[in-house]
Amino acid sequence: METMRELFRYRDLIWELVTRDLKVRYRRSALGFLWSMLQPLLTMGVLMIVFSSIFRFDIKNYPVYALSGILFWNFFQQSIVVSMNSLRVHAYVLQKLPVPMAVFPISTVLSGLVNLLLALVPLLGLLIATGHKMGPSLLFLPVSILIATLFTLGAGMMLAPLSVFFTDIVEMVTVGLMLFFYLTPIFYPKEIVQGTSYYPIIHYNPLRSILEVFRDPIYYSKIPPLSHLSLSLLVTVLALAIGYWAFKRSIDRIPFYL
Amino acid sequence: MSSAIAAAPVSPPFAAAPQTQGEEEVVSLDGLSLCYRLAQQRVFSFKEYLINMIRGSLTYNDLWALQDIDLKVCRSEVLGVIGRNGAGKSTLLKVISGVLKPTSGQRRVAGKISPILELGTGFDFELTGLENIYLNALLRGHSRVEVHGKVDEIIEFSGLGDFIHSPVRNYSTGMMARLGFSVATAWVPEVLVLDEVLSVGDARFLKRCHQRLEAFREAGTTIFIVSHNPLEILHHCSRCLWLDGGQIQADGTPQEVVRAYAVSAGDDETVAMLDAPADP
Repeated sequence: METMRELFRYRDLIWELVTRDLKVRYRRSALGFLWSMLQPLLTMGVLMIVFSSIFRFDIKNYPVYALSGILFWNFFQQSIVVSMNSLRVHAYVLQKLPVPMAVFPISTVLSGLVNLLLALVPLLGLLIATGHKMGPSLLFLPVSILIATLFTLGAGMMLAPLSVFFTDIVEMVTVGLMLFFYLTPIFYPKEIVQGTSYYPIIHYNPLRSILEVFRDPIYYSKIPPLSHLSLSLLVTVLALAIGYWAFKRSIDRIPFYL
Repeated sequence: MSSAIAAAPVSPPFAAAPQTQGEEEVVSLDGLSLCYRLAQQRVFSFKEYLINMIRGSLTYNDLWALQDIDLKVCRSEVLGVIGRNGAGKSTLLKVISGVLKPTSGQRRVAGKISPILELGTGFDFELTGLENIYLNALLRGHSRVEVHGKVDEIIEFSGLGDFIHSPVRNYSTGMMARLGFSVATAWVPEVLVLDEVLSVGDARFLKRCHQRLEAFREAGTTIFIVSHNPLEILHHCSRCLWLDGGQIQADGTPQEVVRAYAVSAGDDETVAMLDAPADP
């Protein structure tokens, strides 16, 4: 509770870190803000060529299916990598000023969120261009995004202290993320592994429920069924609890290792 | 000359401190110790860590940077901290500032604390001076609106002129110190912590710093100063602490403590200077 009040006091700092991150990200590329919209579309284009002509997935309107998965994945993956490093990157501050450390993972996840929201624009364009069925279920999307954000924050807070204590965690997580990319039905329909021994792994992968809650209102034009919703909420609460615990436990030792 | 003899003329902690007039305590440290676990506190790879854990060879050297420190500092006191390199001065200030948590013991600070722990405290070298004013003040827990109201004054005080628009990486140490001091002292804190910040400014800026410190003291701010310059301690401080090996070696008036330290360090010049005014 006290931490929450403390963080609230530093809200302007969090916002400053978010805008600075966005500025840096877009200053570097010639296409600026356009790039964050273009990049997922290009990835989708590649996937479309590979999976709707070379290996065929029997799935209706594959571009929308793939793009919704990619947007979720980009947000998750980038936020994890950046927030994992956020404490080490700000070592110069943490050794000299008593700042509540949680502001760093929080601000990186928030700037990832802004990117995700920007990338929804081309998704909307694609929905319209392909004549995809759109319903009032889209209004549920903010809730889905909130769940995804909180889950990502929990995971980021879990990893940020670890990467301070152990130098090779970053490499391990990079490999782990690649594994999760394939174990989550991002670019393929879950049904293709049905009946194989991989199915349970993919089915019980915690990321899957978060992804499906995000994808349901977009692709299937439905409010996520209770089974998806309850599982994703459970996973999110768990991630936040573990993240909070890991962070709190290591906070006092972090400045000694930076 | 051994330090035990040198310290002898100075009375034990607190007894001689003339400021303890039953005033309001702002900073109080009780039996505070801080330990650096040297071997362990370097960053391992997870692989190394596992191997060491299995081998049972996760050994480390404990270095007690602060040992059983008891210290009470009141409103308006200006406490100088002196001692050799590695005596624990900077660690003490980091603990008081809340950057490092003590291994054991209690730290209590009443009110807002504004630390300047090193030159360029928490600056992002790629940002301009102006951007750093905002970032630094926000990192110190101020709001954007508060900074808006103070930013002109901060620039004015720093005397950096047009340099405020160039990246901090182009600044000299003196310019960085000016900017750091200007931001950290733009608001009157209950506690101000200065770790060797006043040693690099030019004479004119130093004079302004001194005026500001004096104004703060009158406003009731408690000030901690780490310095290797005996004149600075004698000029500003109402009380002086000598740290050695992480312990309080002496605590008393600046004249007494600075002299005792100078004697132990073989700093004859300072001893002579301190003794001189006593001659008629």
